[in-house]
Amino acid sequence: MMVPIRCFTCGKLIGDKWEEFAKRVKNGEQPGKVLDDIGITRYCCRRMILSNVEVIDELLKYYELEEKK
Amino acid sequence: MEIKILKQDDLHIRFLISGIEIPVANALRRIMIAEVPSMIIDDVIILENSSPMKDEILSHRLGLLPLKTDLDSYVLREDCACNSELGCSKCSVTLTLEAEATNTARSVYSREMKSENPDVTPVSDDIPLLKLARGQRIRLEAYAKLGRGIEHAKWQPVSGCAYKYAAAIQIDPKKCTLCKKCVDICTKHLLKMENNKIILTEPLDCRLCEECEEACTVGAIQAKPLKDTFIFDVESNGSLSPERLVLEANKILKEKAEEFITQISELKEGEEE
Repeated sequence: MMVPIRCFTCGKLIGDKWEEFAKRVKNGEQPGKVLDDIGITRYCCRRMILSNVEVIDELLKYYELEEKK
Repeated sequence: MEIKILKQDDLHIRFLISGIEIPVANALRRIMIAEVPSMIIDDVIILENSSPMKDEILSHRLGLLPLKTDLDSYVLREDCACNSELGCSKCSVTLTLEAEATNTARSVYSREMKSENPDVTPVSDDIPLLKLARGQRIRLEAYAKLGRGIEHAKWQPVSGCAYKYAAAIQIDPKKCTLCKKCVDICTKHLLKMENNKIILTEPLDCRLCEECEEACTVGAIQAKPLKDTFIFDVESNGSLSPERLVLEANKILKEKAEEFITQISELKEGEEE
């Protein structure tokens, strides 16, 4: 639903790095290089960030539409 | 016993430790993972939640939030005399979160959590906890307690704690034909030829894959671990500093050993009577 706070496998804190990652990738940087740059080195933590989809953003739209009615 | 710190920063420590046995090194590793206490949210009382995130998911997320731990001022829940469900001021810290999205949808970050003790706060200010649509509100109280990884993995203070053998690569200059097969096959490119001799440039980086030993047709090279030397890599998740973690693990190991000795001597006394 949202980016997990810790890596499922090793427990490293990754939640605070998602927004920087998402912003920089949107601006055209290579995802792998951004991950190296923000210090996510192990592949367990890298997949957490790489495979994350912020589904909650889609849900929020429905809540806002409901409020407009 | 000899300890040499190879690398150290806010979250990591890498040190070489020599003169100990494998069981001691492993005990140290297991204590760092499972028995060094850290402070984590354990009870959450949700007073108001109109966000799309359900109460259970939100409290699970809060439970995974690493907090800066003050080991000297708090005691473990089972050692505390209070016996109350939510803990007292000696064994728990209350954190509160109150947030509202007034104009637009927004994220609620860990920096918005207010702690009753300014030393016990989330390790990072920028962790997104949940998102609120316009007009939604969240109000909750969270109780953080000291605990150990052995009870629940959320209390693990390390996100990586491992040791490996230090390598000893021996090259017999009499047998070596300088064919350079070992130099070409080394997966980490650590072997080099200098002045008609094969040398290992970074012995600490060698992972003992033994490829060089296999490649050598004349049997001049031998890759063996040093039996009493280990390279420890400890990565903290921010709740404790890495050097404090190692020291704390040592303290716990010492206490356990002393407890063992007293129990054994009590048994002996019983036999004599």
